[in-house]
Amino acid sequence: MYRNVMVNVDPGTLIILIGLPAMYLVFFGFGFGAMIPIPGGTASYLTFLTPGIMSVQCLMAGTVGGSMLWADRRWGMLAQLLVGPFTRLQYLLGIMFTSLLFGLAGAFVMLVGAFLIIGSLQITVWGALTAFGVIALGSIFFGSLMLLIAGLVKSNNAYNSIQILILFVVNFASTVFYSFSAGLPLPIQVLFQVNPLTYVANAARGGFQGAMPPDAAWQLPLLVAETVVVLALATRVYVKSDISFV
Amino acid sequence: MTESSAGHVITVENLRHTYDGKHFALDGVTFDVAKGEVFGLLGKNGAGKTTLIKALTTLITPTSGELRILGLDPLHQGQEVRRRIGVVQQGESFDFATVEGNFNIYGVLWGVPRKLRLQRREELLKSFGLQEVRKQRAFDLSGGQKRRVQVAREMMHDMDILFLDEPTTGLDVIMRRELLDSIREQARRGLTVVFTTHNLEEADYVCDRVAVVDEGKFLAMDTVENLKRLYRGKKTVEVTLSGGDATAFYGSLKARLVGSEVKADGNSAVILTDDPKEALRRIVELSQTTGVQMDWLNVRKNTLEDVFIGSVTKTEGA
Repeated sequence: MYRNVMVNVDPGTLIILIGLPAMYLVFFGFGFGAMIPIPGGTASYLTFLTPGIMSVQCLMAGTVGGSMLWADRRWGMLAQLLVGPFTRLQYLLGIMFTSLLFGLAGAFVMLVGAFLIIGSLQITVWGALTAFGVIALGSIFFGSLMLLIAGLVKSNNAYNSIQILILFVVNFASTVFYSFSAGLPLPIQVLFQVNPLTYVANAARGGFQGAMPPDAAWQLPLLVAETVVVLALATRVYVKSDISFV
Repeated sequence: MTESSAGHVITVENLRHTYDGKHFALDGVTFDVAKGEVFGLLGKNGAGKTTLIKALTTLITPTSGELRILGLDPLHQGQEVRRRIGVVQQGESFDFATVEGNFNIYGVLWGVPRKLRLQRREELLKSFGLQEVRKQRAFDLSGGQKRRVQVAREMMHDMDILFLDEPTTGLDVIMRRELLDSIREQARRGLTVVFTTHNLEEADYVCDRVAVVDEGKFLAMDTVENLKRLYRGKKTVEVTLSGGDATAFYGSLKARLVGSEVKADGNSAVILTDDPKEALRRIVELSQTTGVQMDWLNVRKNTLEDVFIGSVTKTEGA
């Protein structure tokens, strides 16, 4: 993990990890605040947006994890590390924990940023633990998903294209920026409902509000199950099969 | 237990590997390597050297065959094997960090204590002539500098066996010689080295034993001196034609030089023979009867390269 952090603490990664969500927070928070209705209607849009943007960190951290693996394949370090004193599983878990660390650190930075912008934020210790816990779970899910994709695709361009597509669809077809509405077109409603980032954002928001939404009763167990499945698939790609080195 | 009863740290028996289920990149390779030995794998590109290194270093699982590294089964004790080996791979492998950053990361990965890590880093940067580029990113270095970083970085940790896959590629003559001397010195201290190359002079200079590899098979394996002795009575005749039908010319020459080995490549050919006078006579005679002119005709003593060419030619002719 030391190696992953050392190699990835560069301006490019930090801009993707922190800069982009921070810009979402500022531009969406101030730009769309007057246009987007908030459930309950009393809180400001920035207050509504904060747990959503914190949740985005698990997706951003996942993409960093996938990029780490892709870069290791591309630049020969994967083959070099796999003849080092570790197992393939340890290598994979190293990236996973780095994604987790980046996800939680990024969420914390967004929390502090939101506090500085809004001036005050109210959250209980239990609520914060809930929010960060579900963001950690989301980081493992998206980290596993991006590792799986990074292991399966054959070219850098393909990986980048898929990553951008996932970033766009998963971010905007979720409850990060606005709440779910029955007025949305059916395909987008379905995307909202099956999108794991929706589950993370809803639960994180519940942590801030001190009450879990009713949907969390099925969304969180489903997120756990999906994480287990995707993690198992990603592990299988690297542990059970011969890895192709680019 | 770390070695076999015969003192071998590597034991390979009938190793086979296929990537596509049709062609065997390794096809029945059998050999042992003793502790402190420098063992060379000599072969042209695509001969199977790198696949063998990958199998020995647990990077691929061989299709069949027996393999023991330091008395351990790499298939089931891979991590223990990897703790005790070092590998310099053929391709580039760097982290996005400075040269000294790459050394630091590698030392941490291998669990080298901080004080020892810094000491080794400084020694290696100095001995491999990398002090001036220590703050540069590894990816920005020249080909030779990158290779030096890769080889030097591997020396950050202790090991029993060092696998070097064409380590001298891109190195200048002086650095190449220093690296080869360093390998010899490490071997004298007990390090076992497996070394792949297609540079025959290197193999001659540094290896105790050499295996000639082609199409996944070992064509010959012995000490460099014994391999040369096999061809000691023979001389090498080199011919280059200026034009004409070279294929027909060398085909006729092969038929007339029974017992000699004729390796033709386009207009040129190398002939290993016990009787160079007879070979010369036949070549001149054939040139006169066919009207094919010669640009070059030369007789010289054998080198390791001739052993290599002779081994490969025998297989192709079989």
